[in-house]
Amino acid sequence: MSARSLAVEKLWARYDEADVLRDLDLVIPPGRITVIVGANACGKSTLLRAMSRLLAPQRGQVLLDGKSIHRTPPRQLAQVLGLLPQSPIAPEGMTVADLVSRGRHPHQNLFSRWTRKDDEAVEGALAATRITELAERPIDELSGGQRQRVWIAMALAQQTGILLLDEPTTFLDVRHQVEVLDLLVDLNHSRRTTIVMVLHDLNLAARYADHLVAVADGRVHAAGRPQDVLTSDTIRQVFGVESRVITDPTSGRPIMIPLGRHRILDANVDKSAVEETCP
Amino acid sequence: MTTLPLDRFSLAEDRRRLTLRRGALVAVLAALLAGVFALTLSLGQSYTPPGEVLRVLLGEEVQGAGFTVGQLRLPRAVLSVLAGLSFGMAGVAFQTMLRNPLASPDIVGVSSGASAAAVFAIVVLSMKGPAVSVVAVLAGLAVALSVYGLSFRNGVAGTRLILVGIGVSAMLESLVAYILTQAPEWTLQEVLRWLTGSVNGARLDQAMPLLAALLVFGGLLLGCARNLMALRLGDDTAAALGVRVSLTRLVIIVSAVGLIATATAVTGPIAFVAFLSGPIAARIAGTRGSLLIPSALVGALLVLAGDYVGQFLLPIRYPVGVVTGALGAPFLIYLLVRVNRSGGSL
Repeated sequence: MSARSLAVEKLWARYDEADVLRDLDLVIPPGRITVIVGANACGKSTLLRAMSRLLAPQRGQVLLDGKSIHRTPPRQLAQVLGLLPQSPIAPEGMTVADLVSRGRHPHQNLFSRWTRKDDEAVEGALAATRITELAERPIDELSGGQRQRVWIAMALAQQTGILLLDEPTTFLDVRHQVEVLDLLVDLNHSRRTTIVMVLHDLNLAARYADHLVAVADGRVHAAGRPQDVLTSDTIRQVFGVESRVITDPTSGRPIMIPLGRHRILDANVDKSAVEETCP
Repeated sequence: MTTLPLDRFSLAEDRRRLTLRRGALVAVLAALLAGVFALTLSLGQSYTPPGEVLRVLLGEEVQGAGFTVGQLRLPRAVLSVLAGLSFGMAGVAFQTMLRNPLASPDIVGVSSGASAAAVFAIVVLSMKGPAVSVVAVLAGLAVALSVYGLSFRNGVAGTRLILVGIGVSAMLESLVAYILTQAPEWTLQEVLRWLTGSVNGARLDQAMPLLAALLVFGGLLLGCARNLMALRLGDDTAAALGVRVSLTRLVIIVSAVGLIATATAVTGPIAFVAFLSGPIAARIAGTRGSLLIPSALVGALLVLAGDYVGQFLLPIRYPVGVVTGALGAPFLIYLLVRVNRSGGSL
């Protein structure tokens, strides 16, 4: 599966009668993991919705391999570009296998029967997310972490070259957050899937992103390698909070530590500690 | 390929089992329906042996049975089945699309629109016969459209549509109550049919519009079955799977309202059948896979059996709508309690 190119050009989009995205430009590097961060209501989710055709832009366009996605038939688009919305609905009584099988929807039509290829895609997705043994369980009986893996499996069964995820780690505890993100990196490595996701946790974002995008006021404020984007200046401008950024000895990626008004040790001691780890 | 260990999950096997189970269930429901149909043809105030019933059905002249079976029982049973199929299928389509069992057409105002218009036409405009049906169908469609329009804001959310529909229904019902206080006594018999629904005085030629609506709108709904399944995962997920959400919604609403309005024009709004069939079918068949056909069969069974009960098994004769209404009201309360508690669908 060759990596697809996705780009956003001069995008204006509204939500609830207010301009949320204002002249936003963004190029998604193919075959890499892009993470979008930003303050609440800065337009991250709107951007993801516009990129997946759930929202029609006022102006500008989203280009998939150079062609506007709003001029691509929905079913054809869904074979190439997958999206996991923030809070998908798990219908009562539907089993894991049923739900993951829905991912084959864009590959079938009214007259085409379920094929061996569809089975393989679904079984592959179940195995990749390690939920094969849950296949016959009703989805409403699963835990949050398991359920999130099921939704990702559905998106995998769709076999799209690009996968967009809106806050895939929300409501998960730290173990499941890391599990989900590791799973996405596996996918990116094994299938060269281009991944674009919105994350809230800046440190996880910096850890897992190849390409980090900070959105503020409906535009891209900064984009690039995490170590270039996650700086205390950018964090101040985007989130309006003072912070210190140090290097995580485990991953070599930046970690931000917010400076609130309380519980800060002596400033000098702290400063030297920062300088030691961050040459 | 070597044989798989028994505990290994096989998708193809799982799907085959589901299809078999579904097929068997639909067959059982259809057989049950055929059984009740045969019963209503041969046993009423008097008993007609099955052999004679068959001869009447084959078009032979049979003394006595020709009238009771051919003129009285057969049209009644046929209309019951067709109306029940329409109500059952349309109801579950609405409920599935809006992911809420309360979203049935009789709760969101389609049926009350039709009956209010019919009552108005009979009492105030002194209209009669087919003209009343036409007015009722048009009004049902108009109410459906205005409920849809009133609840439109960045697309239509299920709950908003239900609440607007309940409000509009309440308004229409008070209108009906007002008109009834002004109604001359001789119109009440005709009016009653439009309030509760009944297959009294059924004629076989009334089956044609029902059959046509079932072929067209029922066919459209079955064509949408796959998209309807995707819509159960939420509008965003469905759209991400390549479903044209607004278009699918429109087709489903038009088809379901078309079925309901046509059936209501012939039999009146048979209370709660559209509302009950889906959840009953879901209890029997489970919620894996489309419920359109199981629910249609349950609807037909409800109307056919309800009419039989109303005619022969109660001390006084009641129209079918009274029987289904008595069955539906407690179920509505049960669902309200349950949905409130779990936020569940169907």
